[in-house]
Amino acid sequence: MDREPVIHVKDLKKSFGSLEVLKSISVDIYEGEVVVIIGPSGSGKSTFLRCLNRLEDITSGDVRVLNNDISSKHININKVRENIGMVFQHFNLFPHMSVLENITMAPTTLKLMTKEEAEKKGLELLKTVGLESKASTYPAQLSGGQKQRVAIARALEMNPKIMLFDEPTSALDPEMVGEVLNVMKELAKEGMTMCIVTHEIGFAREVASRVIFMDGGYIIEEGTPDEVFNNPKEKRTIDFLNKVL
Amino acid sequence: MYKKLRRFTVISIIGNYWQLLLTSLGQTLLLTLLSLFFAFIIGLIFGLMNVSKKKILNIIGVVYVDGIRGVPLIVLAYFVYFGVPALIRALGASNFKLSALVAGVISLSMNAGAYMAEIFRAGIQSVDKGQMEASRSLGLPYGTSMRKVVLPQAIRTMIPAIISQFIISLKDTSILSVIGFPELTKAGNIMVANTFAAFQVWGIVAVMYMVVIITLSRVAKNLERKLRREDV
Repeated sequence: MDREPVIHVKDLKKSFGSLEVLKSISVDIYEGEVVVIIGPSGSGKSTFLRCLNRLEDITSGDVRVLNNDISSKHININKVRENIGMVFQHFNLFPHMSVLENITMAPTTLKLMTKEEAEKKGLELLKTVGLESKASTYPAQLSGGQKQRVAIARALEMNPKIMLFDEPTSALDPEMVGEVLNVMKELAKEGMTMCIVTHEIGFAREVASRVIFMDGGYIIEEGTPDEVFNNPKEKRTIDFLNKVL
Repeated sequence: MYKKLRRFTVISIIGNYWQLLLTSLGQTLLLTLLSLFFAFIIGLIFGLMNVSKKKILNIIGVVYVDGIRGVPLIVLAYFVYFGVPALIRALGASNFKLSALVAGVISLSMNAGAYMAEIFRAGIQSVDKGQMEASRSLGLPYGTSMRKVVLPQAIRTMIPAIISQFIISLKDTSILSVIGFPELTKAGNIMVANTFAAFQVWGIVAVMYMVVIITLSRVAKNLERKLRREDV
């Protein structure tokens, strides 16, 4: 492909003390791609995702996001993060703010929008995630699925160019998984570039443009959902899929 | 002794000295409130240093907290009131003197500030790590995230500890009678010197401290209960 990748990772390594979690990760992700990362727990999936907005310091290697070398100490990481939305396993809504305040706090504090603009956009986003009636509610009164949809709206409020999802449905009761995945499907349809760490294989099959299988700090195999799920080549991928399917 | 006990009843002492008792109680509260105000700021600064990722700030924070907590308040008060001005006079400012109020507020704020730093550290650490991460992932800088997201939640959990520090500092003001600050314990000393009725005077003084402190504790308990209810 001759297009510039929006995320370019070359030989990324990440250690926590003496424990090397990411051993050598290289991958390019292009605009509009929906990349789903699967793999056993402890394989480094979440750590990899968190390196993409430098929530984890990068031990070594090249990580370029939207043409910013985020492995460099000299870059203004906050500016880069404005363009990278992140959704967490445990939602991490701000409990002392209402739903709408959760959404509008960042753009108004950073003076990217006026309060009116932020609220107008926030209410529109709440509508698209089906929660316009909850604007003045506090997070404690929401179900898990509702919290996660608010968290997605909060990330989208910043007009991100990339969205990172770190096991967005793992902390949800089974009956709430669908509502969150549906919001993510809509987002994928609209052409958002997404990186998703998940255990939802069905969702990956349906939505992913590319599936990456990670184990032991390496990318073992990658390809279209059909290639990875129906014709896996590596033994470790086959073993993993046998366990989860 | 018997005669003196009869001559000064609790009622007659209160009748004669109520103005002194009230103004000195006022001074005690003034000293406590001023000190706590500065202790809050000192605690915030050193508490933030202690939770920082920068090693050098951690070291400064630990040195302050451990240093101050390792010195009895009475020694700190003597040091600030007599020691520091003596040094400054020796350095040339021959008339330098600190008022008892200023010296008292400095020593008590430094002392309570060290404990407050620990309260802040514990409060900040009690907030889930994900809160800071979510805020940072939205592009907010560390300091803004602290101020907008972490501290408002931390302070809620800190309120009971802050009130108990308030009570401790209120009692600690009595130590500052040694530098001549006209607070309640100093007033007690004056009254005993005048009446020789130690039993009655110290009884009155003790009850006055007790009433103020029990009232505060009640307020603290209610606040705590209210906060717990809101959390559910």
